[in-house]
Amino acid sequence: MNRNIILMVTLLFVLSISLTSCAPQTVETQAPQPQATQPVITEAPATTEETVMGEEKTAIIGFTASQTGKLNVESIRQINGLNLWMKQVNDSGGIKLADGSIVKFEAKYYDDESNKDRVQELYTRLATEDKADFMISPYSSGLADAAAVIAEQYEKIMITTGAASDSTYMKGYTLVYQAYTPASKYLTGALDLLMSTDPNAKKIAIVHENDKFSTDVSTALDEYAKSKGYEVVLFEGYDSGATDFAPFINKIQDAAPDAIMGGGHFQDGSTFAKQLFEKKTPVKFVALLVAPPEPSFAELGDAAIGIIGPSQWEPQAKFTAEAAQAAGLEWYGPTGEEFISAYMNAFNEEPSYHAAGGYIAGLLLQKAIEKAGALDTQSVAAALDSLDLLTFFGHLKFDTTPEAHGLQIGHSMIYIQWVSKDGNLVKEVVWPTEGATMPVIYPLR
Amino acid sequence: MNAWRTPGIWVALLVILAIGLMPIVLKSDATREVVFTVLLSVALASSLNIILGYTGYVSFGHIVFFGLGGYVGLYALNVVGLPLWMAISAGGLAAGLLAFLLGKAILRLRGAYFALATIGINEAMRAFVINFPAFGGAIGISLNFRIYREYGGATSALWLTYYLMVAFTLLAVALSYAIKTSKFGLGLIAIRENEDAAEVMGVVTPNAKTWAYVLSAIIPGMVGVLFYFKNGNIEPGDAFRLHFSIELLVMVMLGGFGTVVGPILGAAGYQRLRGILLTTPVLKDIQLVVAGVLLLLIILFIPSGAVGWLRHRFPKLRQVLP
Repeated sequence: MNRNIILMVTLLFVLSISLTSCAPQTVETQAPQPQATQPVITEAPATTEETVMGEEKTAIIGFTASQTGKLNVESIRQINGLNLWMKQVNDSGGIKLADGSIVKFEAKYYDDESNKDRVQELYTRLATEDKADFMISPYSSGLADAAAVIAEQYEKIMITTGAASDSTYMKGYTLVYQAYTPASKYLTGALDLLMSTDPNAKKIAIVHENDKFSTDVSTALDEYAKSKGYEVVLFEGYDSGATDFAPFINKIQDAAPDAIMGGGHFQDGSTFAKQLFEKKTPVKFVALLVAPPEPSFAELGDAAIGIIGPSQWEPQAKFTAEAAQAAGLEWYGPTGEEFISAYMNAFNEEPSYHAAGGYIAGLLLQKAIEKAGALDTQSVAAALDSLDLLTFFGHLKFDTTPEAHGLQIGHSMIYIQWVSKDGNLVKEVVWPTEGATMPVIYPLR
Repeated sequence: MNAWRTPGIWVALLVILAIGLMPIVLKSDATREVVFTVLLSVALASSLNIILGYTGYVSFGHIVFFGLGGYVGLYALNVVGLPLWMAISAGGLAAGLLAFLLGKAILRLRGAYFALATIGINEAMRAFVINFPAFGGAIGISLNFRIYREYGGATSALWLTYYLMVAFTLLAVALSYAIKTSKFGLGLIAIRENEDAAEVMGVVTPNAKTWAYVLSAIIPGMVGVLFYFKNGNIEPGDAFRLHFSIELLVMVMLGGFGTVVGPILGAAGYQRLRGILLTTPVLKDIQLVVAGVLLLLIILFIPSGAVGWLRHRFPKLRQVLP
């Protein structure tokens, strides 16, 4: 046996796991510190007298977070949002149940290392030893799929956030509820935007990362585009971690599409946008997944200008109580400004949609528990089934058919575009029109 | 002396059985999940030990058999509609067949060249599956929750996969021991020590290496079906994770390569260490760093692994620690 090979393997392994665990954690992992002013967000917070009189219960919310590994940044922001919600609801006195008792929340969580090896083990532990009353999904559809089996097995309600794939909700689950717009709707709105901006644009190229999420999104986009009479002149997948997009850009130039859509995650999406700019690809419209809504996308400089991206939520989004009234929906929770202010006070950064998604997962549970007036699974599930709300995150409503129970059918994506203002790059909401902060820049080049 | 009269192997099998019975006696689902993870690693590490420890070929891509088995099994369950036992058999067969074909092609390479080729195979298989529509391409295969009803519901299905995992772990260890104590195993060890000399002594090395590779692939293929059946879905990124292959190598080396008990100790020790670190509040944020440093220290100071060190330090143990 070659001992050198063994030593080399070990060193590589140690180095790799050390680097993985030392991945930058730009956000706090702890619950936020108490703030001087927190928006009171419960509908009917218990009065001090009632809190003294009522029995106080603690509901455990169990989840795993990707504190290490490739999903670390998104997952931790998601947990920050959830922790903020939990702190606010506890500070405001908890939730009063129908029997007069007061419920407050406590989080139990473990690191899933961004892979599914231990997800089921950890969720089983949460359900049995930690006695979790409710569960929040891990970040990403693959991990949420594995966790959902356990949630269903132990009859625990699981709110998924950061798990957009439609397929998770087509498996016959009855207790899994999606906070995000499903993957199949990620880029269809971009096509609607293109259609409304330029009815003469007819050719699109779809170039996407070859992973589950991006393929789900792109396949749905392909079907939608064809149903709307578009010609999909190019439909190609690239390997995760691709850094050279020249072959794809050459094909795009040959196909001469009006619009390019696709992408995958932050790194590849940013590189793709940069190389499209460097090669001066003549295209009128570019919409890419995941990367554009991230604030660090601005580091691309001029290459970022004009790029459109779908986002679950943006700080500029204006969903208000008045809009809810106009739409005939119930308004619930804090306003966008209140959420942003509380989050920035707690974490010293602007919230991303992952953070808002974590917060909204908690808010959904809160509303359902208030509506049910109880903590038992069946009552809370029935309350979740009947929810039809407008929140700062947008419209939230679940599919209740057996075929797609728990799928999010109320929420829509927001589309942002990077523009240059006073020499700075900023994101503006360009679609849907009711939430738009400026008209879309079109054509791009 | 009859090899099966050695007490060490029976102790090892009984210990695995006792650990396997623990969640059943305790009626603890959480313990079942912890033991499942440990037994999965024991089965995989013991299988890898056949090609790594006995034959001396470092395979970085052994997880390819686990992933392929998972894919074939879920395809058989989800698309073809086969029962679980047939899906498991199909997963094992597919992994064995792939190992046979690969063995014929790449086992002529030696040392670092073979190791590099196995990395390539892992990546090639991932790329193939991503572009293979029958396996769901990049989306993978998802099982409908209803499938568990055929096995008495999700609870019963999870227990069933657990019982099967205990059985496959026992089988993997017994197979590893049977190979090591057989004439075939002696041939493999001769290849490990000096392949040219082994050939001169009459060992048909290409065949012996290929069959060792096949035998080391079948159980990973079968437990791959169990793991992904339990998870409910499989995707290319998870199924062919090079990192897990490297973890398996570390488990084998930690316990002692070339021994039967070594991979058991290495896998169980490694997984429990990771499990404890993950769930200990003080350590859970730095668990990978702690695990990495501990492994480095062990490999540097006891390079022959725990069992190798024990056998070296206490020669009498060689009779009882296979």
